[in-house]
Amino acid sequence: DMTQQKKLNGPGSAPPSCRSKCGWCNPCHPVHVPVQPGLIIRLEYYPEAWRCKCGNKLFLP
Amino acid sequence: LTMLVLSPFAFSLTEEGQALMAMKSSFNNIADVLLDWDDVHNDDFCSWRGVFCDNVTLTLTVVSLNLSCLNLGGEISPAIGDLRNLQSIDLQGNKLTGQIPDEIGNCGELVHLDLSDNQLYGDIPFSVSKLKLLEFLNLKNNQLTGPIPSTLSQIPNLKTIDLARNKFIGEIPRLLYWNEVLQYLGLRGNMLTGILSPDICQLTGLWYFDVRGNNLTGTIPESIGNCTSFEIFDISYNQITGEIPYNIGFLQVATLSLQGNRLTGKIPEVIGLMQALAILDLSENLLVGPIPPILGNLSFTGKLYLHGNMLTGSIPPELGNMSKLSYLQLNDNQLVGEIPNEFGKLEHLFELNLANNRLNGSIPHNISSCTSLNQFNVHGNQLSGSIPLSFRNLESLTYLNLSANNFKGIIPVELGRIINLDTLDLSSNNFSGHVPASVGSLEHLLTLNLSRNHLDGPLSAEFGNLRSIQIIDMSFNNLSGSIPPEIGQLQNLASLILNNNDLHGKIPEQLTNCFSLSSMNFSYNNFTGVVPSSKNFTRFPADSFFGNPLLCGNWVGSICRPYLPK
Repeated sequence: DMTQQKKLNGPGSAPPSCRSKCGWCNPCHPVHVPVQPGLIIRLEYYPEAWRCKCGNKLFLP
Repeated sequence: LTMLVLSPFAFSLTEEGQALMAMKSSFNNIADVLLDWDDVHNDDFCSWRGVFCDNVTLTLTVVSLNLSCLNLGGEISPAIGDLRNLQSIDLQGNKLTGQIPDEIGNCGELVHLDLSDNQLYGDIPFSVSKLKLLEFLNLKNNQLTGPIPSTLSQIPNLKTIDLARNKFIGEIPRLLYWNEVLQYLGLRGNMLTGILSPDICQLTGLWYFDVRGNNLTGTIPESIGNCTSFEIFDISYNQITGEIPYNIGFLQVATLSLQGNRLTGKIPEVIGLMQALAILDLSENLLVGPIPPILGNLSFTGKLYLHGNMLTGSIPPELGNMSKLSYLQLNDNQLVGEIPNEFGKLEHLFELNLANNRLNGSIPHNISSCTSLNQFNVHGNQLSGSIPLSFRNLESLTYLNLSANNFKGIIPVELGRIINLDTLDLSSNNFSGHVPASVGSLEHLLTLNLSRNHLDGPLSAEFGNLRSIQIIDMSFNNLSGSIPPEIGQLQNLASLILNNNDLHGKIPEQLTNCFSLSSMNFSYNNFTGVVPSSKNFTRFPADSFFGNPLLCGNWVGSICRPYLPK
């Protein structure tokens, strides 16, 4: 159980490794991508999440 | 007619056609977009715009209705409930009003329901909970009210709930949290009350949790560290109190937004271990104590917002290790000490805001290594020294604000090379010498504020090249010479503030050509001659010209109106 493991390892997090997360595509890097919440409001930044990127394609970590 | 209706085959076919025609009749603005919805000329409704059919149980039936972004007004007809095989309804981005009909609960095959970006009002009908196959529910950007029905928890496969930007009231139903399937819960911009339940971490499949801009109270639950599936945790702009719990360090989030609450205590050191953070926003709270140097460990973080708290101590040089940082806002705190030299390492830094602290010392020379810097604001500190010549390398700067500090020395000629500047504010310092003519080459400049310094010499004729300029404020200096007539070329100039200087000569007639000029102050100088009286000058009150003893104008006490009325 990942939750349990995290607890044992203590607090903290790391970006995804993206190892073999882009299918056959190489190289596969972790990137920040904005997630659009509702209406676009000026000066309101989008929340960001991690995705794995290869070329122009994004993959779930 | 009765015979036809009783015929089972014809009945099943025409009932859907009739339902679609009933829907059409309750829409409006349909003239162009639903032209082919016409049972008289084409009864093959499967060919109508936005209607998609499929063979279900050997009968062709409507499975999908996509009328998004067609500018449709009117209402959603209850007849929608007669389209019993609908799997997808997409009416987003129209101008639909009225309520969501109860009958929508009869569309028992529905998987995807998107009514977002309309003007729907009223409650979410309870019948929605009858949609046992529903996976996607998007009602954001409407005028919906009432509580969020707890019966939404009875939809077993619901993966997305987006109710953002409506007028929902009451508490977030606790039952909603006991859903292992839910992935996306968007509730921002409503009027929800109550606390953040410790049960939220029962959402073991959720990655997006957003309650920004509601009226939630209470504390961040201690159990928050169990929400390990969350990628985005945004509870900003509520009334959350208490301290940030240590357990927050167990979150695996990319975005942690706690801003605009009433959080107290210190920034927990453990946050420095959350390297998955892309955005950390703790701004506009009541946080005290120092910025933990361990935050410098966040080497993947792009945006760090700590502004609007009561943070003390100096800025840790370790922040210079945040090599991905593009936004750093530490303004409106009580920070002391110097701006760390290490900021020069932040090659991606786009915005640096340190305004309204108690920083001293000079601007580090190597800040010019931040070649991506677009906005630099140190307003309202106790910074001293002169503007580093290396500033000329900051070619991307659009906003430069050094106002209300103790800077001295000349305004370097090289500032004129920061060609993208739209704001140059050096006001309320001790700058001296001439204003370099090169400032006139800043053709994108909108605001030039050099007021309250010790600047002398004349205003350069090159100012006439500031073709975008809207505000020029040079007040409270020692400027001499006369106003260059070239200022009259500035068609966007709205405000020309030159009071309390040593300017003399005539007010150029050309200023009457400044079409946009609505505010001016020439008072307390040594202007002579006659104030122009045509065009825009009819708008300016007499006190724009007071304190020029030899200036003649249409006010009481002017030298050309010697006779005071009784």
